[in-house]
Amino acid sequence: MKKKILLPKLKYKFNFVNFSILIAIVLIIASWMFIYKVDKADFGGLFTEKNAFYAKKFLKGMFGIGEETPAFKDAESWKNVLKLTYETLQMSVMAAGFASIGMLLTVIPAARNVAEGKLTLSKKWYNWILFGFIRVIYIFSRSVPELVWAMIIIFIFKPGIFPGALALAIHNFGIIGKLCAEVIEDTDLRPIRNLASCGASSGQILIYGVMPAVMPKFLTYILYRWEVIIRTTIVVGFVGAGGLGMDFKLAMSYFKYSEVTLILICYLFLVALADIVSEGARKLSS
Amino acid sequence: MNKISHSFDIHKKTILTLLLILAFIWSLFSVNWGPELVHTGGKATLAQIFESLFHPQLSSEIINLALIATWRTLSYAVAGMTLAIIIAILFGVLASGVLAKSELSRRFSKGVFRGILGFMRAIHELIWAWLFVASIGLTPYAAIFALAIPYGGILGRIFADIINDVPKEPIEALYSAGASRIQLLFYGYLPMAASDMISYTMYRFECAVRSSTVMSFVGLGGIGFQIQLALQDLNYNQVWTYMFFLIILVVLIDLWSNILRKRLVE
Repeated sequence: MKKKILLPKLKYKFNFVNFSILIAIVLIIASWMFIYKVDKADFGGLFTEKNAFYAKKFLKGMFGIGEETPAFKDAESWKNVLKLTYETLQMSVMAAGFASIGMLLTVIPAARNVAEGKLTLSKKWYNWILFGFIRVIYIFSRSVPELVWAMIIIFIFKPGIFPGALALAIHNFGIIGKLCAEVIEDTDLRPIRNLASCGASSGQILIYGVMPAVMPKFLTYILYRWEVIIRTTIVVGFVGAGGLGMDFKLAMSYFKYSEVTLILICYLFLVALADIVSEGARKLSS
Repeated sequence: MNKISHSFDIHKKTILTLLLILAFIWSLFSVNWGPELVHTGGKATLAQIFESLFHPQLSSEIINLALIATWRTLSYAVAGMTLAIIIAILFGVLASGVLAKSELSRRFSKGVFRGILGFMRAIHELIWAWLFVASIGLTPYAAIFALAIPYGGILGRIFADIINDVPKEPIEALYSAGASRIQLLFYGYLPMAASDMISYTMYRFECAVRSSTVMSFVGLGGIGFQIQLALQDLNYNQVWTYMFFLIILVVLIDLWSNILRKRLVE
């Protein structure tokens, strides 16, 4: 008698990773085709003589060649730009502060385990509504870039540091809120159960159980976002929100390229400073 | 002395928190708080903007325009990311120093390429965009290059860290079997680092879409450009329509990358 060999059936299994790679490839091809065909972006056209001329002129201007007193050798413009750098620093700190305050006020109901009532051990019917509402606000404020927020806010406030800080704060509020809500979701439940079995009320659980556990991570995230905010302060200045960005825009529009160089130097210095400070503070908090 | 440093150790978190709060208060003094902070009629504008949030303009013409603009934004982001990934893999491998033979050359390639990557990501993409527009003119390539450089810098640095963090045992096994440096890279480091690299790239892709929106500010098209135009027309209903398209795009990409990251971890 012949023995029948049972072959394992080949079954097509949906593999999300492979599917994603396929989508990514399709997207890449479609995008490049679109840019090439519809937007008629000619790659060879980048290397024309006209472009080379302008690029050379621009680079020369940035290094201050052919200018009597380039801005980076002029004491007066140094003073001006340093003052703006100081303002930009203040703006970034203010933005990080506003974002943190907003986050601290909303983050607790935005955590899934609070909404389920696992963390505070008290189930309320409105917890889920609050959770959904705050999460939608987070998504909303996070999805819109800070520059677009600045464009809108500038209609309401007069140009200056405050609207810029507000725009940065709104965007970062969404990001920081999401990150910190995830921190609360990951907290260890054991100390909290311990507190609850000792008879602590839900408010006491929050203050003595949750807060000490999550605060160091909150600080780390706030510092990390502050680093990013410093980088973006220059951008919100473009629409008239003060600081280095506004001067950068003006210098660009007046073709004062050596001043652009000066502003970029101060900007890079500020970014490096933020890196060092936040690194040091993070070491202190861990 | 010991006592002081001990008590500092206990209270350092409190001190840090206090310092941060003080810094925030210091920053508040820079603003001249008062009624002149708000435009005359600013409150009315705020009410108008808020009211139009619930009445976005949804005529088919606007939706058509928004769809095309959204696709343009997405395609710039995708194109910029492809270049960024290429840059990041090249520079990231070099910055991780796994290709170098001697200790000295390893240090050298690490130092130099980490420095380059650091410079690339230190400058914001919009400033790159402006510098490119000033030198090569208003072409989509200005947006693509401007996205590719800072994102290449960020991705490259993370790729280098991921490659340096792979477990060393399989690499040593390959090495003792006689694999060359290049073979070590392709059969040892990259396969092990791939899933982390993909998940981080997906996370950055979402950011790239947002950055690509902002490119419109220097005159390059896309959804940001439409938002800007509508704002200049004071047509807030249209502004919100475009905003909703942008938010939907970002949320969809966020969902995709979340699911993909979960599958990659499994």
